[in-house]
Amino acid sequence: MAHNIKNVRIQAAYAELKKLIDQGSYSRIIKTTNKIVNDDQSQPEAWQCKVVAYIQLDQFKEAINAINKAPNRQQMQFELAYSQYRLNKVAAAIDTLDSAPDKDSPRGKELRAQILYRLEQHSECYTVYRELLRTTADDMDMERTTNMAAVQVHRVELGQCPVPS
Amino acid sequence: MPPAASPVPCKPLFFDLALNHIGFPSLDHKLPVKGAEAASPASAGEANKPDQPGGLSGLVKGLWGWGSKK
Repeated sequence: MAHNIKNVRIQAAYAELKKLIDQGSYSRIIKTTNKIVNDDQSQPEAWQCKVVAYIQLDQFKEAINAINKAPNRQQMQFELAYSQYRLNKVAAAIDTLDSAPDKDSPRGKELRAQILYRLEQHSECYTVYRELLRTTADDMDMERTTNMAAVQVHRVELGQCPVPS
Repeated sequence: MPPAASPVPCKPLFFDLALNHIGFPSLDHKLPVKGAEAASPASAGEANKPDQPGGLSGLVKGLWGWGSKK
């Protein structure tokens, strides 16, 4: 009986969560996910929502804490690497990304390129962007090309490639 | 007299595109209530609406829709 009441409560909280996600009410999303995980720790969706909301609020330390507590932390290694990157812990971020299950996915490569840029490994960064531009087709290609141009600026400065004519 | 203009290096633009890949999971499977709702007469009627012939009420609705969009 008590089990049933708990399930109904969790279901209601998910309904609320869906509404809050549509509204983009990130602080309230965190409160609602807390309700769910207080009832049942093993709710991967609630944990993921909590982590994404923290990231959207630029609360990266809190995001990392939540990932470490989550039962599905293995599925949130990308979010962990991104949070570390935003906290400027770039060495940790690249280690995390290297062991992430989706490190070779397009989003894995996108984050890798940004971390390599921060690490000033411009030649490696350039290679990743060139591959990304070849393999992806979305409305972010202009921004990606801009990032690649930024990498080239540094490579020219460092004499790693000739000045374009 | 202002000094002569000369080019200076500027920090290149660099976008954070990885953030676009962080999104909320789908919660639809956590809401079995929705499935039950779809079977209820109210939402079934709503689902059929676009198939019904327009008639005068359809025209009025269309006008309202048109009016509200503008």
